Amino acid sequence: MKAKRRMLFSLLLVLMLVGVAAAMMVIGRGHTVYFDNKTLEDYQGQTYKSFEKVVVTVKGEEVAKLAKRERGMSIWIGQNFKMILEVTREKGGEPEIHEIDLKLPYNVDGIVVNLPALLAGLPEEAWFSEFVPAETEAPAEEVPGEGSEFDLGLDGELGLEDGLGDV
Amino acid sequence: MSEKKNIPAGKRLLELARNNTVPIMFIIICAIFIPMAGFSPSYLLNEIVTRMGRNLFLVLCLLFPIMAGMGLNFAMTLGAMGAEIAVILVADWQIWGIPGVVLAMILSIPFSALLGFICGTLQNMAKGREMITSYIINFFINGWYQLIVLYIMGSIIPIMHTTIMLPRGYGIRNTVSLLNMRQCLDDLLAIRLGGVKIPVFTFLLVGLLCLFIVWFRRTKLGQDMRAVGQDLEVAKAAGINVDRTRIISVVMSTVCAGFGMVIYLQNIGNLPTYTGHSQIGMFCIAALLVGGASVEKAGIGNAFLGVILFHLMFIVAPGAGKFITGDSMVGEYFRVFLSYGVITLALIMYEAKKRMVKSKAGRELAEAQVKKEDA
Repeated sequence: MKAKRRMLFSLLLVLMLVGVAAAMMVIGRGHTVYFDNKTLEDYQGQTYKSFEKVVVTVKGEEVAKLAKRERGMSIWIGQNFKMILEVTREKGGEPEIHEIDLKLPYNVDGIVVNLPALLAGLPEEAWFSEFVPAETEAPAEEVPGEGSEFDLGLDGELGLEDGLGDV
Repeated sequence: MSEKKNIPAGKRLLELARNNTVPIMFIIICAIFIPMAGFSPSYLLNEIVTRMGRNLFLVLCLLFPIMAGMGLNFAMTLGAMGAEIAVILVADWQIWGIPGVVLAMILSIPFSALLGFICGTLQNMAKGREMITSYIINFFINGWYQLIVLYIMGSIIPIMHTTIMLPRGYGIRNTVSLLNMRQCLDDLLAIRLGGVKIPVFTFLLVGLLCLFIVWFRRTKLGQDMRAVGQDLEVAKAAGINVDRTRIISVVMSTVCAGFGMVIYLQNIGNLPTYTGHSQIGMFCIAALLVGGASVEKAGIGNAFLGVILFHLMFIVAPGAGKFITGDSMVGEYFRVFLSYGVITLALIMYEAKKRMVKSKAGRELAEAQVKKEDA
């Protein structure tokens, strides 16, 4: 009886931990959201012009102030992205405030949002694209574990490896 | 109690000094070094508070094996390795902030528990030589860890992000950035007092572990551990499953070390993949010894005092070294020499004290026998 009860408690504990881990995976998924204030040309025969100025506020913090053809970015944890846009459509015009809620796809790390298309109420395919990092030169080959402690005792110069100052 | 009161104050003071030689020595060293280093009190306080939040959890996890009489657990490094594997996976899955930390802690449990079980089982085969056994097990498991992160991750265990993978297509880079979970625990509920940032939430976690240790000592398992720590044979005769109790103490230590390592890494903000764990055991043990603990006896107070003194010395030693010699590099050597020196000294003193007590007991027994014969 006692053994059965212990097993049940252990099982419940494991299930609870798995549940918490699953919840963390969902609510903790990080995304980088890029905001483009760029003209969307020739979408179903129409052109959506970039704004004069856009101020992007995320979680009460101003993360980008975009002029024409500029890009800003913000990081976000979770899938329900919220931002406030202060849009000045033309030079000398009155700024408009827009509160935007977006559902971010779980599997995409970097999301590019075209602001003129988004505010024009176009479908997702018009304003959403996945951020693909630009191909850079091949990075210098790292030597894995260089300076690490593979041997007994102290390595290199009397154990003065990089992390020593941070213990 | 009354016997204690009869001892003269001078003798009591001498006894106290003798029992706390290492902390007293460190207090003197720090008192000399602090003015030489020339740091402001607020800077020193800030550094100490940061380092307490970063290291206390790791140091406290050493108390379980000491309770079970297994000495200083160099195998806590195994828990750190388990945590590092968990952190690499969490970084690759892009789970950020506090959820990332929680997930890394949960993921580290099976790795740390398995490694702790292996270590505890091996230590049971080498009773009386637990410290050196755990120290060597470190090197053995480190080899496996290197194999996993160098060859298996990316080739067998899928790693999606090239930012953490070596350019050759498998294996993990020397440093994994944890920028998106950097100090997320420390910043939660943090308060600033006179320029000193106090990571309240991290201290709450440390406080919870302290409460757990205090509570655990009173449980049946905790009492069993203490009994095993005092005398193996007596504990066995009392019906305690000695081997199982010892394994549990090591597993608890490595699992807590895994949690501690996650707290440590979120504070640092990056993971040195191949070196992150290598010095953890040594520095935590040194800190505990500096706090006045011994191989047989250690408490929460020793952990707190040790972290404060050891890290205070760590902060001021380079500055003091530069002041004395004019070369900051000498200060770096200075603190390494002191940190390893203190482990050596504490272990020698422990052994010398043990022999002294043993010979004193022998003398008393001989005297008693002589008296009996005379009578």
